[in-house]
Amino acid sequence: MRNLIIPLLVCIACAVVVSITAVTVRTEQIANVENEKKNKIISAAGIEITEDEVENEFKKITTLYVDFRSNEFVSVEEKYDHLKAVLKSDLSEIVPKDKDIAILKRRENVGPIYVWTNENKEVERVVLPIRGYGLWGTLYGYLSLGSDLNSVNGIEFYDHKETPGLGGEVENEDWKAIWKGKLIYNQDGGVELKVVKGAAKDEYQIDGLSGATLTSNGVSNMINYWLGDEAYGPALKKIKEHVKNS
Amino acid sequence: MKLTGKEARKLLFDPIVENNPIALQILGICSALAVTVKMDVTLVMCAALTTVVAFSNFFVSIIRHYIPDNIRIIVQMTIISSLVIIVDEVLKAYVYEISKQLSVFVGLIITNCIVMGRAEAYAMKNPPIRSFLDGLGNGFGYSFILIVVAFIRELFGAGEFFGIPVMPEWYPVNNFLLLPPSSFIIIGLMIWAIRTYSTSQVEENDNPLKAHTFKPLTVKKEAADG
Repeated sequence: MRNLIIPLLVCIACAVVVSITAVTVRTEQIANVENEKKNKIISAAGIEITEDEVENEFKKITTLYVDFRSNEFVSVEEKYDHLKAVLKSDLSEIVPKDKDIAILKRRENVGPIYVWTNENKEVERVVLPIRGYGLWGTLYGYLSLGSDLNSVNGIEFYDHKETPGLGGEVENEDWKAIWKGKLIYNQDGGVELKVVKGAAKDEYQIDGLSGATLTSNGVSNMINYWLGDEAYGPALKKIKEHVKNS
Repeated sequence: MKLTGKEARKLLFDPIVENNPIALQILGICSALAVTVKMDVTLVMCAALTTVVAFSNFFVSIIRHYIPDNIRIIVQMTIISSLVIIVDEVLKAYVYEISKQLSVFVGLIITNCIVMGRAEAYAMKNPPIRSFLDGLGNGFGYSFILIVVAFIRELFGAGEFFGIPVMPEWYPVNNFLLLPPSSFIIIGLMIWAIRTYSTSQVEENDNPLKAHTFKPLTVKKEAADG
């Protein structure tokens, strides 16, 4: 009997204490994650500021929401989180196999665009959330475009499961730096930017990560998907006009 | 048996040099290799481990008379892992950046040999206050080694101290010191230094090299000729 009762009592006591702790520190943890996201958005946009200024910088941003089905700008409820929407069947849909190049399986119906504007209501820069499958799991990040909505401002990944030292080098500052100024769309309006094996030859290519071909391909695919016609592509083409008229 | 001040001091400070869990018992090496690249990360890891080992000793000791002998390891593990989860949650809430860098290593305190070793070897046989002090002492011993290793690795590896550059500008980044194998060498050198200072720690040589006993085969001249 003692063999059963003692472990049971220990388990109950431990479970209670662990749960109480988890609930108590929950708000702080959520705030930390939120803060980190904001930091990443700001740093993807290529803005260098200290941590205390992030809150202020964030106030300058207008967040627009795009409905990917109609490519219209829509309004959403205040607490809308596009990554949580993926888990709900009424807020997301299955991506057809032949179009699912970034291996998302489900895509939210409405996604955010973070926009910086100047006083003349012109778009200065935008940040888009991107994600897609690498080698071991989904990479989550942000990509920023400049005022021409074609040249890359910066890229950041905030969550991934790639091998440290190989695919994990998506976090490498030097590698992220080479994205700046590269072009996304070619003359015909198709997504041209790719991470290639070896060294980049023109402004549509990014040096591959050595030893991480599959991660590099994953990054190419997610750029291709999220900036393509299935996701933000059409909205980006009319965002200037939308901002001007708002 | 009342706990005297002298005993308390012995429990607390003996594991630092005289009976160091890393240098003498060679336990808990894994995290010592992994989290000693930067001072701030190391300090948080040391605080986490010290808390866990002290409190796990304390709680295991409180219920030591009730733990059935044949499942004692499982009961100890339950207590240890609960403590580790609590520490991990608190770190994620209050030192988020550092907890990201520590990643799995906080979770791996559960399997840290020092924590299990002290619970099994000390806390199961001694009263709670003593066990708590023993846990603290062993935590300090672990921390002592890690802090020294981290100091050397950060200073001579990255040329920094707590993230602030201190080395002159011509100092190149020493990549080898930033990689885990360098801790092996630093810990080895520390063990050498500690054993030179405290010779009682030197182990007896169980397998001494003996003098050459092999006799070369002498071939009789006649047989070779024949």
